[in-house]
Amino acid sequence: MIDIKKTYKNYVDGKYVRSESGKTYTKELKNEFYELPLTSKKDIRDAVTSSKNGYKKWSSTTPYLRMQILYRLSEMIEGNKESYIELLMDHGFTKQKANKDIDESIKNIVWFAGLADKWEQLAGNLNPVSEEYFNISHQNPIGVVFSLSSSNVSLNELLMSILPSLTVGCSVISYSEENSVLALKFAEDINNSDFPSGSLNILSGKFENILDDVSKHVEINLVALHKELDNEGLKTIEQNASESVKRVFSQPSTEGFSSILPYLETKTVWHPKGT
Amino acid sequence: MIDWQYSESIESPDIVSIKKKYTNYIGGKFVEPKSKKYINTISPSTEELLSKVPLSNEKDINSAVKSAKEGLEVWSKLTPNQRSRYLFKIARLIQERSREFAVLESLDGGKPIKESRDFDLPQVAANFFYFAGWADKLDLSWATKSLKPYGVVGQIIPWNFPLLMLAWKIAPALATGNTVVLKPAETTPLTALLFAEICEQAGLPPGVVNIVTGDGSTGSLIVNHKDINKIAFTGSTQVGKLIQKSLAGRDVGLTLELGGKAANIVYEDAAIDQAVEGVVNGIFFNQGHVCCAGSRLLLQESIHDEFVKKLEKRMQSLRVGNPLDKNTDIGAINSKEQLDKITGLVNEGVEDGGELFQTECELPGNGFWFRPTLFTNVQPSYSIAREEIFGPVLTTLTFRTPEEAVEIANNTEYGLSAGVWTEKGSKILWTADRLEAGVVWANTFNKFDPSSPFGGYKESGFGREGGRHGLLSYLKASS
Repeated sequence: MIDIKKTYKNYVDGKYVRSESGKTYTKELKNEFYELPLTSKKDIRDAVTSSKNGYKKWSSTTPYLRMQILYRLSEMIEGNKESYIELLMDHGFTKQKANKDIDESIKNIVWFAGLADKWEQLAGNLNPVSEEYFNISHQNPIGVVFSLSSSNVSLNELLMSILPSLTVGCSVISYSEENSVLALKFAEDINNSDFPSGSLNILSGKFENILDDVSKHVEINLVALHKELDNEGLKTIEQNASESVKRVFSQPSTEGFSSILPYLETKTVWHPKGT
Repeated sequence: MIDWQYSESIESPDIVSIKKKYTNYIGGKFVEPKSKKYINTISPSTEELLSKVPLSNEKDINSAVKSAKEGLEVWSKLTPNQRSRYLFKIARLIQERSREFAVLESLDGGKPIKESRDFDLPQVAANFFYFAGWADKLDLSWATKSLKPYGVVGQIIPWNFPLLMLAWKIAPALATGNTVVLKPAETTPLTALLFAEICEQAGLPPGVVNIVTGDGSTGSLIVNHKDINKIAFTGSTQVGKLIQKSLAGRDVGLTLELGGKAANIVYEDAAIDQAVEGVVNGIFFNQGHVCCAGSRLLLQESIHDEFVKKLEKRMQSLRVGNPLDKNTDIGAINSKEQLDKITGLVNEGVEDGGELFQTECELPGNGFWFRPTLFTNVQPSYSIAREEIFGPVLTTLTFRTPEEAVEIANNTEYGLSAGVWTEKGSKILWTADRLEAGVVWANTFNKFDPSSPFGGYKESGFGREGGRHGLLSYLKASS
């Protein structure tokens, strides 16, 4: 009997799609090899269009519902634990190490799920201005985030490049190079967790092919680089970003509450008090 | 009818003695510039020479940054409580000498004494008081333990609120344990140099605050200095983008507080007279030299004619003239360069087809002046509706529905501030939620407080100044 092998595709706007370029690149694992979409500039533009719409839907979803959708993601991963372990072992993980990666992942999803309806209370406050005004600072998500995932193969690291911005209501374009088989598998659990289409798009390919377009695209509001780039690459991204005052974070903190701070815009509203 | 004669009330300039020449303040000492070069600073209301200040060069910046690094050694070893006390002391000294500062601010910058005395200086002192209290409570400020000061911070500030922008920069930077090299604007350096005397009076350790003057080239030397850990800039979006570009690929923190083109939305159910007052304050405060000025008036169609009529009448009562006259509402335009820019954009607005209204008033013979100006019959595509004019020029647009108002308001690359006028609470909250702006003033405009964060969305920059959120501009997350 011949085995049936899964074809991995990009996950854009809630659909599994090949690169419009028709191009792929090969990823060889211990027991299997995969042809993965080599994302083109046009694919990125399509993903941004989807993310813009996804942002509207996801950021207007109530925090209570966002929390439940994130929690459902942990349920999905728990249910598919064995298949993740198998895939990680195909990447060279021991069973124990693979187990640990999945456990950490689930722990973090649960933590962020519970933060979805609390971060505004932690990040915003009333300001005690010295005149008769009601003055409150609260936050909006920054918008469309492009996140380059770490080159380390790890579901947990992949998640930590997505969860902080997703939790606060940003839409995310997650891009993986080395970690792409895992990322595209993970897209299936996103698809099964009731995320609105476009809230999280997952793509694979060579970052150098799209680096220029991503950093110049004015509708991407923030670029988060979880992978260490050479100085030249970083410099190009930051120079391009300056043309639209785009925010760029290289290796942003993924530690607890500080992980969400880059993705927030603080809005302060004043109103007079009186009779 | 009584024939009222106007009688002026001039604040005496005698309270401040302006030196013929100033020096930089580096390492706790007033030092001649190594460049040996100076630039003139004039009074924009008379064009008279006030003084000369250093045009600092690379050697001067090297010495200022070196001194800030040395200052950091001392400053970081003090207890938070000691740092707090220095800031409290500075705040008190500013209060005591506030009239002197206010007069100097109006002389050097051209703003009405009414504003420098009653707005700028009280806010300057309040900022030092506010951040003084944070210096020993940083561990309580945010639910994270990994925040550390950057180290040496380069700060470049604009000419519209010279001393207040200094306070917005220096107070939080010192409270969070950084040391600073600050460059005031080329046309308004004097109050910053007088502030150096306050640092000396307060006994601030040498090198904690360094003040160097110069032009754009001096600012660029600070940005490009290898030992600077963070840059904080307030100014135009154009220069902000250049700074962001210069820092590309370097591990240097950056916050930018840039331009704006704020929409001031007046719904038909607003309290019209209050709104007229607020709109006037929104655009004519400080000659319109305000990054968050309400420069786009968005009127609901049904009230357009009535509102414009009332607005023109109110504008006509604005008194333009000598900044030291306590009755003056609108002082001098800060520089010839800025006056030319305003004039150019207004001419463009007329050529585009905008309907121009300017108040009838006599302008002084010398100095730089511009009449309060209102444009109606404007299309959103006109440059007067898109570009930051940074002068006493208001542009009017109309809308029919709240959705349309929000769409027009957000249809700009800027996102610094916005205004909403309506007596309906739910409409305020609905609108405020949808506006892409860092500050939303509802039934008020141009209100500021040290505890209230200020800063923009989109191309108006990133980072906040003021409030608990302002601390994050001077602390970096380190893992």
